[in-house]
This record gives sequence, C-alpha cells and structure tokens, in this order.
Amino acid sequence: MQFIANGFIYRKSNSIIHKLDPRVKLLISIQLFTLALLVSDLYNLLIIFTAITIFSLLGKITQRLLRTMIFATGFSVLILIINYFAGYSLLYSLQIALRFISIVCSTSLFFLVTSPDELEYVLRWFRLPRDLVFAFVTSVRFVPVILMDTLQIMDAQKSRGLELEKGNPITRIKKFVPILVPLIINEVIRSGELAEAMESRGYGISKNPTSLYSLKLVNFDMIVISITMVSFVSVILFGY
Amino acid sequence: MSVKELIRFNNFSFRYNSRDDKILEDINLSIKSNEITVLAGPTGCGKSTLLRAIVGLIPNMYEGEYTGDVIVDGIKIRDAEIKEIAKRVGFVFQNPENQIFMFSVERDIAFGLENLGLEQEIIKKRISKIMKTLNITHLAKKAPHELSDGQKQRTALAGVLAMEPKILILDEPTSLLDPKTAMEFMELINKLCKEEGMSIIIVEHRLDLVLKYADKLIVLSEGKVISDDTPENVFDYKKDIIPELSVPFSTKLYRELAKNQMKFTKPVTGVEDMIREVMK
Repeated sequence: MQFIANGFIYRKSNSIIHKLDPRVKLLISIQLFTLALLVSDLYNLLIIFTAITIFSLLGKITQRLLRTMIFATGFSVLILIINYFAGYSLLYSLQIALRFISIVCSTSLFFLVTSPDELEYVLRWFRLPRDLVFAFVTSVRFVPVILMDTLQIMDAQKSRGLELEKGNPITRIKKFVPILVPLIINEVIRSGELAEAMESRGYGISKNPTSLYSLKLVNFDMIVISITMVSFVSVILFGY
Repeated sequence: MSVKELIRFNNFSFRYNSRDDKILEDINLSIKSNEITVLAGPTGCGKSTLLRAIVGLIPNMYEGEYTGDVIVDGIKIRDAEIKEIAKRVGFVFQNPENQIFMFSVERDIAFGLENLGLEQEIIKKRISKIMKTLNITHLAKKAPHELSDGQKQRTALAGVLAMEPKILILDEPTSLLDPKTAMEFMELINKLCKEEGMSIIIVEHRLDLVLKYADKLIVLSEGKVISDDTPENVFDYKKDIIPELSVPFSTKLYRELAKNQMKFTKPVTGVEDMIREVMK
C-alpha cells in the first residue's frame, strides 16, 4: 500500500519542474490529461508518454512515477482483457489500456511535484471558499498524524492480545473495531482542540484574509507555458 | 516598564449547558502585566474553563450560564468580538500538534496574521522577528512532521506570539517535553515576560519546573480560588500545605528543615533556591 501511495506523495526537490509556478504544473497536467482522453492511436500515445517521461526526468521523480505506472498497469491489463473479450481488436484494447496509464500518470505527475502549500495557493487562486480550502488543507495536513495515531492504537491493542493477522477476511475486518472506536474518539477530541486553536488565532474574523505569499509567474514559467501550449495545440490540430 | 492590571475576574461563575453544577463559582482575580502567574489545581477543578473564559472561547464557543464579568485589557469579554480578543490574548494549547495547521513553520506562523488581514510585508517582518527570538529561523520551510516535540512547541508559541498579544496563556506547555527541553522552554518564557512586558499565565502540574519563574501562584479547587499569593507565601513553613498541590521536593525539604530550626532567609520553591540557602 505504501509502495503505491509513494507514487502520489510530494517530496521536496530542487528540480526545475518543482520550481515552476503551481498553476503551470497544473496546466501541464491538465494538458496531458486532456490529450490522453482525446487521442486514440499508438503514435499520439507515444508522444504523451514521451512528454511524461521528459517531465519526470526533469522533475527527478522517475522512480516514484514508475510506481504509479506499476499501479496503473494492474488495472490496464484488466481493461485490455475486458475490451478484447468484448470483441474489440487487440490493438484497440491495447490503446485503451495505455490511455488509462497515461491518464493516471498525468494526474500523479502534478501531485508528485506540487507541495500541499502550493496546492492551497492554487485553490485560493481559483477563489474557492476559504472554509473549503482550509478543510482540504487540514485534512491533508493531518494524514500523517492520524496514521501515527492508528499505528499507536494498533500497537496498544496488539499488546493486549489482539491478533489482527489471524482468521478469515470477515473475522479480520471485525478485529478492526477495537482500533476504529478509539481512533474515532481521538479524532473527535482532536477536532475540538483544533477548532479552539483556530478560533483563538482569529480564524474567520476577517472577510478578506491576506496571504504570506502570492503566486507570481516569472519568465521561465511563461516560456514553459508557451512551449507546452504550442505542443498541446499542435497535437490537437495535427496529431489525430 | 509600567505595571498595569490586564485581567480582572469580577464574581465570575460559569456552568456548562451539559452540566448541572457550576464549573467555576464566584471567581475574583486580578492579573497584571510583566507577571508570570502559575495556575494549579487537581484535574477537573476548572483550570481549562478559566482559561477559555480569558481567551473568549467562553461564551463564544461554549454556551452556558455566565454570570459576573471577565475584563481583559479593558474590554468585557462577554461583549467583545473574537477579533478584539485574538489581538490581545494568545493561547498555546497542551498539544502543539493540534494547533499547527499549515505545511511549513513559516506558513503556520503566518496563519493568525493572515486572519487579522495584515499586509504581506508586515507579516514577513513579524515572522522574521519571532523566528529569531525563538531561534527557529532554520525551521522556516520544515513541515510539521519533520519537527521534534520541542520544535513543535516553539512553532505553536511563535504562531501565537507573532500576533503580538499582551497576554500569553500556556496550558501545560511542558507536558510533552523532556526535562532539559522543558527547562529551556521555561527560560524562554521568562525572557519573553521580562523583555516584552507580557502577562503570562501557565497551567502546570510540574510545579518544580515553573515556580522558579512564577510571580504568583493561583490554586483552584472544585471551581473556587483557594489561594492567590506568591509561591513563597503559599509554601511558607508556618502555613499548612494545600492538599491539592503537588509540593516540589526542594520545598518539602525546606519545610522539614525549617520546622527543625534551620534558618532560611526566604521560603524555598526550587532547587536553585535551596542550593543558595544551603550555601549561605
């Protein structure tokens, strides 16, 4: 599970892709995603995979993107088989399967090079309601905390004789109840403390809260936007 | 630096809607600037409620029967907007993990300032200043999960101090810290009080750690103030020990020795005091 999760989790890096404005990263991801949806022949799919490979090399995320690919390949094999047995040609089934991999990779590409902080700025730039953005930010922020809580509770329950690895699937699921109950109670208490802390630091008191940083496109961002837009339009117009 | 009254409780009582009895009853207190006040008492005695009343969470967030007044820096909490209170009072909770919202230390420090609607340049200046004061400049870009407990505690403190409150409330600030880090943290708090002229209220069970810095010790029991005095007066050997308090070892020793005719220039409330007295 952790192997797959690492294919979507951001890690700090000094690559030129990481340094791009997050809106540019989102644009690239959307362009690749759109192309993957639109194109159908192997030649164009190869162009998409080449673009994904170039970005992953420049972003130094090739290894982690490979994990995403492995994860997507499992499903794409299933897609290939289903399509083939549904009466489509092997080539067409293969194209559909590859399309699926490129869709997953183009999404993963964005999350691998965009920090949650940058993601928050993008959401705010889209003028989404602040409460919604903050709910998203805190839910992502507390993922590692809740994970640690879960592991602690699991250890505590195991030390009291709970054997999570034994029994049939239904028994195993039932054994998670003594973990879920204290976990939920913990998190309800935590959310209360969070609300108190937010209130005492003035959350919601200003209708127009300011921001420590604001997004600014630099020359390099503009160059990247130009190159990717030209490539995108070219593939759309002449590629298929 | 002139000393002025920053907090006043006038016949304050409070009962949560979910309870039948009053959690705090007839509280009368006065807390001044440039003072460190330690709030002690057994679990469930009403310490947290008292703090919530100062920071305005009562009655803004917790509903109940509210009588009397709480006046903070000249404003009546009952009638005040949370914005006005947030500018005056900073609250550092027991678990720093639950008050670090953002993905980096500097962004978290900025959180309160952004809420106040301050300009970007002012926010940057305040962040830089507070990170230097708390010696966490090197942590600016770190994510919360990359920080130690001590660093998290400093980050939580920085987030509150950046809002430049006149009153700082610390709820068991050292409970997650090892003894050495806890001592360093308390030294820092003492420095802030003396240099910035803040009024600091600390809830702490480990009295041996905080009494050294305390100007005042308030003891609560069953919702009532049973003592409001200097730590030296509270622990004077001529007086009975308040059963609700966990007496520091050095103070116990002082009381025994003083009762057996050993001369002390003043009551002992910490190890350093004891060493000084013995050396004399």
